Amino acid sequence: MALSNGRGNNSNTTVAARLQKELMDLMLHPTPGISAFPSDENMSTWTATIDGPSSTPYESLILKLSLDFPANYPYAPPVVQFKTPIYHPNVDFSGRICLDILKDKWSAVYNIGTVLLSLQSLLGEPNNASPLNGQAAELWDKDPAEYKRLVLARHKTPEELDA
Amino acid sequence: MDHSTLVFASVFPVLSLSHTTPTPVATPILGYAAPGSSFGSPYAGRNADEHGQGQHRALKRGQAWSCATRFLSLPKDTAILPRLHRTRDVEDALCYLLVGEGKSEDGREESLVEWYTNECRLHFASHVRPGLEQLWSGEVQLQHSWDILEETQRGLEQVQGVYLEPFNEHILPFLQQTISASTIRPSKPSQIARADPSDAASWKFRRDIHAIFAHCLPAQRFSKTLSYVLYDAGCRLYWIYIRQDGVQPPSTPEGNTEIRKRMTTLLIGLERVGLGGDNAQKAFAHAMNKLVDSYITSHYLKVDWFTKESMVPPLRNWIENGFCPLVELVLACLRCEQSNVLPTEVTSWQEMALNRLGRARVDNLFDFVMNWDKSLGAVLDIKEYLKAAGAKQHLTSSFSQQVSRRLLHPGATTTYILNVYISIIRSFHVLEPKGVLLERVARPIRRYLKEREDTARIIIASLLTDLSDDTGSKFSANSELSYEIACEMAKPFANYGQDMDEELNWSDMNWQPLPTDASPDYKKSKVEDVIWFLLTLWEREDFINELKNIYGDHLLRCQDPEYEKEIRLLELIKVRLGDDKLQACEVMLRDVLDSKRINASIRAANATPASVLQTPDTRNRNPATPEIRQPRTPRPRRPAQPPPQHALPSWSTPGPPEPQLNAQILSSFFWPSLRDDTFLVPSQISTLQKDYESRFERIKGMRKLRWMNALGSGSITLEFDDRKEDFDALTPWQVSVVYAFQPQAGEEHIAKKKGKGGEGIARNVQQLEEMLEMDESLVRQALAFWTGKSVLREISPSTYTVIESLPRKSSQAAADEDAAAAAEELAAVQAAQTSTIKTQADQLNEKKDIYVAFIMGMLTNQGNMPCTRIAMMMRMMVQGGFPFGVEEVKGLLGEMEGEGKVVGLGGDVWAVKK
Repeated sequence: MALSNGRGNNSNTTVAARLQKELMDLMLHPTPGISAFPSDENMSTWTATIDGPSSTPYESLILKLSLDFPANYPYAPPVVQFKTPIYHPNVDFSGRICLDILKDKWSAVYNIGTVLLSLQSLLGEPNNASPLNGQAAELWDKDPAEYKRLVLARHKTPEELDA
Repeated sequence: MDHSTLVFASVFPVLSLSHTTPTPVATPILGYAAPGSSFGSPYAGRNADEHGQGQHRALKRGQAWSCATRFLSLPKDTAILPRLHRTRDVEDALCYLLVGEGKSEDGREESLVEWYTNECRLHFASHVRPGLEQLWSGEVQLQHSWDILEETQRGLEQVQGVYLEPFNEHILPFLQQTISASTIRPSKPSQIARADPSDAASWKFRRDIHAIFAHCLPAQRFSKTLSYVLYDAGCRLYWIYIRQDGVQPPSTPEGNTEIRKRMTTLLIGLERVGLGGDNAQKAFAHAMNKLVDSYITSHYLKVDWFTKESMVPPLRNWIENGFCPLVELVLACLRCEQSNVLPTEVTSWQEMALNRLGRARVDNLFDFVMNWDKSLGAVLDIKEYLKAAGAKQHLTSSFSQQVSRRLLHPGATTTYILNVYISIIRSFHVLEPKGVLLERVARPIRRYLKEREDTARIIIASLLTDLSDDTGSKFSANSELSYEIACEMAKPFANYGQDMDEELNWSDMNWQPLPTDASPDYKKSKVEDVIWFLLTLWEREDFINELKNIYGDHLLRCQDPEYEKEIRLLELIKVRLGDDKLQACEVMLRDVLDSKRINASIRAANATPASVLQTPDTRNRNPATPEIRQPRTPRPRRPAQPPPQHALPSWSTPGPPEPQLNAQILSSFFWPSLRDDTFLVPSQISTLQKDYESRFERIKGMRKLRWMNALGSGSITLEFDDRKEDFDALTPWQVSVVYAFQPQAGEEHIAKKKGKGGEGIARNVQQLEEMLEMDESLVRQALAFWTGKSVLREISPSTYTVIESLPRKSSQAAADEDAAAAAEELAAVQAAQTSTIKTQADQLNEKKDIYVAFIMGMLTNQGNMPCTRIAMMMRMMVQGGFPFGVEEVKGLLGEMEGEGKVVGLGGDVWAVKK
């Protein structure tokens, strides 16, 4: 029954505490198809895994992401990137994502779970109005078969990534 | 003589080469010696060459020289000093050479005085020095040092006499005759210039002789010996018995005057033969330095445990009236220029001595703290020492070291550390009332105490302990209670203005600025208030939460129906922590007091009691130990219910006919969460509970009762065929289990035909679990308890029966006794385990889902991992800690593999099953 000494007022400990809580929430109430876990002790970097939503070109694909939390999280969004190569109108070839809630629409009420859910739905409903990958945006509507082929061509499984 | 010696001698005259020996008497005086030939001073001839008429003078000088030197030559044996009488010839020669025409001009010719000095030097070298060198050749043993010095001094003094006598007798008188002529240039003009030339000559001669003496002794060894002798004298004079040289003091003390006399004689003698001076003074300084050290070690390091007085005043007194006179005496003997000790020097010596005393004390400060307050004297010494420059830093670092070496290690119990900390607080308050030092040295201790898990519990438990009752047993060595804390709590305390910001209190006429050396987070504290220090170890809220838990536990365990002590303690704590924060504790206290009233009123209303059995009288105070009805940390069974009140049943049955039930009604909102195992209580009890519940609801309106069966305690009487036994302070599950051995409906016939060993009804563990809806661990624990009491016997594995009549046959009795003893032990161990919260295995099972989720998340996102890394990550990541090791993780992984969630890749590496 050691008592906490209650001196956690610097930002790092606040962030760590918040992330710890989010981790606990994720573990207590897991969402199917979504998973995230810290990469190291200080919890500022996480790895997340989302399953491609069914009835989309990404069906049954497993996609890895990295989340990098700034020191003023949750008042600033985490930096999220796809680690798995992905062919998608709103993701560029180095994995950077164009999603409003990760930029100017960020709010402190979002958390890791909601971010990952948004990304999962982004896979099925890309925002073709402001694409990072113009070809993908074009093909999405015009040639779903070719789109799917490109998605699969670009995809790598986690095992391939590790290798 | 080889060539090189000659070359060297031509540049630097070598004594043995250039010194002329007196011309034998028989030698005819030759008219004209060749220039540069012998019989004269070696320098004489060269001189004479330049001046033609010098020939004559040289001859005459040569004759006189020969005559005078023959007269002045020293005998080989210094012991026999021939009384020489100057003949006319000699007188003339001396006169001629010393003051007449024959005296050396401009130092180009050797003067007679120089010759005589040389003669002495050679004589000394050939006759005296070998003896002295032999004396000083080896290490000087301590016990011989006095003798050697004295012998040396005697010898030298004798030789000096031999040398001086001819000089004084035959040379000085001539020099004195001519006051005006001064041929000898004194080496120290300032000192001697205006003096009589003869004095100058005499002074120079003596100086030369002394230089010879001093030169022949090994300087280092001599000064060490002298230093030792002085130290020894000092030690004997001051009766010092712990000496640096390890010499034991003589059992019979010698007379001070004798030692003093011996020392002064020696010193004066040494000074006379020129062995005083700078070297002796240095040696003296050295000796005095050691002397002060030894004196402090031997006399003042003793702590006065009885009068508790500081040693500093006597020390100062000794320096002034004991030490200084000795110094003055020695200085006078050594004929120093200034033999008085100035008052400023006395003061600085006192400071010096104080510093040494202080340093020696600080080295043992930890012991003084441990023996506080008998060590008050020593602490007062250190307090004096603190005024010295740098003393505080030294004290802080030295003491911190001692603390970390001797206190802050796993071997010290928390109680012990707390007690020492309290001693530190008290002694440092005397040491430095402002508390800056205390704050510095206590920082590591406070940090360490915070890390210890049981610190808070011990402090609070000790606070709640009443000194007046059964003190002796509670505060034994390994006790978890600190007597010191309890004492502090009992002290009357000043009213606390702690929360008031003193800096803003403009009308405080006693305001003082903070000490200059205080650190930024220094708080002006009522330094002596130990409780304040302990309570500020943590933030106040954390502390109060902890207090709440323990206080609650305390209340439930309390046997005193009036709760006097508890009320008083709560008041005390309120004063210290502020009453606004302790609302929960007040509610808790009011709950138990109300319960009493409610019990009374319900019992009064309940005119017709119930049951018949010999069963229990369970008094339900919810102590931590017994766990039948009201465990210590129960979880609310129906958390949604708005007015949650827990009732802790306690039954008391005065006689067999009718069990009695007393309840503790707790407001669940304010109480810490209590243990709550569920199981069925004996039917009479549950009837009583229902009854009680309905009455309570009648009294209290809408309130609902929820029984916490794991807390509480009971007393029962068991009636066997051959005996009747009373049991008190049983846990509710023990009562329930033994009650389960009552014949049930339809079992009476079994009860009637007794087993041959006088056995009653037999039941196995599984049956009991089902009957009582109780956890297996609790069932087994209770069974072990009853086996230990010789109430039950294990007739086959996991099956027990009642021992209705104690066996007569000795073998059976012995077996029962053995079994009873073993079971009792087991029961004790188990009770110890369960009475704390839950076992580790319980915890693991309880949180298994979360752990599984963690492992899944880890493996999904971070890829395959070895088991050890998983365990490590769990320890880092799981909120609230992961108190398990690799083995438990392996077990979990095995289970998960069985469920098809993960797959082992071999080599202890695991992956998510696809």
